[in-house]
Amino acid sequence: MTDAISISNAQLRFGETAALDGVSLAIPQGTCFGIVGESGSGKTTLMRAVLGLQKLDQGEIRILGNPLVHSRAALKQRASFIQPIFQDPAASLSPRSRIRTLMNEVGTVLREPHAAMHERLRVILNRLGLPPGVIDKYPHEISGGQARRVAIARALLMKPSILIADEPTAGLDVSVQGDLLNLLQDIRRSDNITLVVISHNLAIVRLIAENAVVMRAGKVVEGGEVGSLFKSPREAYTRELLAAWPGVTQSKPTG
Amino acid sequence: MSGLVATLKRICSERDGRLGLAFTCLILVFALVGPLVSPDPNAIDIKARFAPPGVMHLLGTDNLGRDLMARTSVGTRYALTLAVMIVVISSVIGSLIGIVAGIAGGWVDRAVTAVFDIVNAFPPLILAFALIALYGKGSATFVLLVTVVFIPQFGRMARARAQTLRTLSFIEAERMLAVHPVTIVVRHYLPNVAGPIIVLASMNLPVVIAFEASLSFLGFGVQPPKSSLGTLIKDGFISINQSWWPTVAAALVLAIATLGATLLGEALRRVIDPKSAGVR
Amino acid sequence: MAISLRNLSVDYSLPQGTAHALRGVSLDIEKGELLGLVGESGSGKSTVAFALMGLLANNAKVTSGTATIDGKSFDLTKRNATAALRGRGMAMIFQDPMMSLNPVFTIGTQLCEVLRRRSPGSDRKARVGMAEDALDKVKLSNPRRRMNQYPHELSGGMRQRVVIAMALLSEPALLIADEPTTALDVTVEAQIMREIIGLRDRIGCAVLLITHSLGLVTEYCDRLSVLYAGERLESGTVRQVQRQPGHPYTRMLFDCEVPIDRERQADASENRFTVISGDLPDPRRRPPGCIFNGRCDVSFDDCAVINPGDYPVGNEAEHRARCLRLATP
Repeated sequence: MTDAISISNAQLRFGETAALDGVSLAIPQGTCFGIVGESGSGKTTLMRAVLGLQKLDQGEIRILGNPLVHSRAALKQRASFIQPIFQDPAASLSPRSRIRTLMNEVGTVLREPHAAMHERLRVILNRLGLPPGVIDKYPHEISGGQARRVAIARALLMKPSILIADEPTAGLDVSVQGDLLNLLQDIRRSDNITLVVISHNLAIVRLIAENAVVMRAGKVVEGGEVGSLFKSPREAYTRELLAAWPGVTQSKPTG
Repeated sequence: MSGLVATLKRICSERDGRLGLAFTCLILVFALVGPLVSPDPNAIDIKARFAPPGVMHLLGTDNLGRDLMARTSVGTRYALTLAVMIVVISSVIGSLIGIVAGIAGGWVDRAVTAVFDIVNAFPPLILAFALIALYGKGSATFVLLVTVVFIPQFGRMARARAQTLRTLSFIEAERMLAVHPVTIVVRHYLPNVAGPIIVLASMNLPVVIAFEASLSFLGFGVQPPKSSLGTLIKDGFISINQSWWPTVAAALVLAIATLGATLLGEALRRVIDPKSAGVR
Repeated sequence: MAISLRNLSVDYSLPQGTAHALRGVSLDIEKGELLGLVGESGSGKSTVAFALMGLLANNAKVTSGTATIDGKSFDLTKRNATAALRGRGMAMIFQDPMMSLNPVFTIGTQLCEVLRRRSPGSDRKARVGMAEDALDKVKLSNPRRRMNQYPHELSGGMRQRVVIAMALLSEPALLIADEPTTALDVTVEAQIMREIIGLRDRIGCAVLLITHSLGLVTEYCDRLSVLYAGERLESGTVRQVQRQPGHPYTRMLFDCEVPIDRERQADASENRFTVISGDLPDPRRRPPGCIFNGRCDVSFDDCAVINPGDYPVGNEAEHRARCLRLATP
């Protein structure tokens, strides 16, 4: 089976600094893949390149086997395969449009009859635990948690096979972050979606992803199956990251 | 609509805003109602020339005995119509050009910015003389000229806003959904650029009114027998030895109009602060 | 006792009504001790810091509260009650170091200013020396060069080090660190926390660490207090609270933390994340009974009626929690 995303030797410089310095990786279909790294590691730039929001200096990106091309026709085609979930999903809703308008835009792009699209939307909203009345509101009229779900519903309406979530838990309290992560896991399993999670939170990636890479200064430090990657890291940097993680560890006595 | 009411309420909550709103309403009523209740502004009555303000002529008459109340209100209406027309046209065109430049970046952006710089490099009055020399006097030339002069201001502001918006996730989300670029500009850029543009437009109204008056004063604006605030001041000025009130009346109206619009514009800016306007 | 805060209540007047941000919060910090104040967004944890420093917004009002710092008592309901302590008796580290640094002055100027205010008569050369020494102590590389640099020339972690150096020079009795590492990477976070602890050990001050991260508190703090919706629900030593959380909220909060060594199971349904369902109560209308009642998993009938007192947990005197289950063993 072709990989969902394959990147070979991606290079990108912003002035003096190399944002991406020869990144190669392959993300198999139907899996959850984690990209971890600190700020400046290039993980967000890599995601933007995969989405076509950022052109590379060199290297090739293939989405489901097709090379990424920067044309409107290619973008239109790609939009139905791959969708992002932005760092602050609530901010990915246009502030001065009703949610209904935003959803109808997806129907227009897909050239789907209005009724059929709204029937699908009804199912998706129901599944995400959103009241149907939410579509008549403006983004600022709903709670942050609801806005996050609306943004995900909109991405799902495109029927993507790949979802890329950039720091999905950034700025969330621990008591609610799990809700979003569980939702992403459920969607991924039931729709057989390839989920790419970009995060600085190693503990979350360890639990949610099957495979992961650790990035630093535009390079992939190491990667592999999460179990072995986190249990016996080969690189000193990965060990340093793990050691610096503050926290409640299971090995500490709790009883 | 509730947004408009809320904005008006907040404008009225401070002294300058109330004053600006009151002056603006006064001028609007004067311009709209004045011509309806006054005699024909162009009716000549030589016997009554230079009549002082009185029951027959509320603001007196000019050197040809024409009713100044009528002429001033017609002139005000003319000045306001021109100003609103010019500001609306230049803000719409300026916003669209600015947004496109901001989104496109690269050579398009550089070219647009260069044109804006060139237009701004000429003092407006010099540019006015050049255009009048080319196309002759008249309202059409005037509108064209002032519109062109004001486009860069709106364009620059829209461009700066668009550059910021372009990097925000909701615009990127629209792009990732492959929504048509024209839809993105109209539905997602324009409403988020509108706030500061409206403020800038309201603050430019008095500038346009004053500019029209100065051009007319110099004889390049409205042509007789039509009246405008500028021509009224000029005509009154010529015969200021015989009577001073025509000049003072027209100048007073001009002062109230520009002061009112300026205060209102400032209040509006404070309400729709450019920083908080747009994305919330 | 170095620092004690008694019965702090703060209201915010909002267009929709009066929100009670804090209700009767008390804290005690010994000299040389690191107290972690844990709370999620909306708990009012930053309001505690701002009320102590006298930096509350204009629409905020302290309705009750006294602070005792180094034996002196301050009535916090008075405006600028602690103004005399700012920068001397108390220092604060913000999440954004630029809140403490002036962008138009060099690092050296700002550090020397701290010293000049503390001891006005001192020699300028001596001050520069002390400032450089402080930068060296917080492990900022090349202190001499840094003295002539501006804040924007430094990275986020370096700026936070400069702020710690400033605190070091002002030798406060109480250091308040409000989410000092939230904007930083984990590796830098660990270094900054080590510097804060180093500072405490050097000058023996009390440290109030305000954070949303239980992980950070259990790793670095001596004692912790848990804040929820403006009320302190539990306090005790980190060991005590970790071993036997007295309040269900604390226990649930610990459950929500994802341990770094929790391993992924092959069966994906086992990799669930724990969630505390429900929402914060309306800060304008406090429901009767326990503040956590609506979201608690072990609540009983009385919880909706009786506002629990502060009961001891187990037989440890210092460990207390506000849960009715502790009152009826």
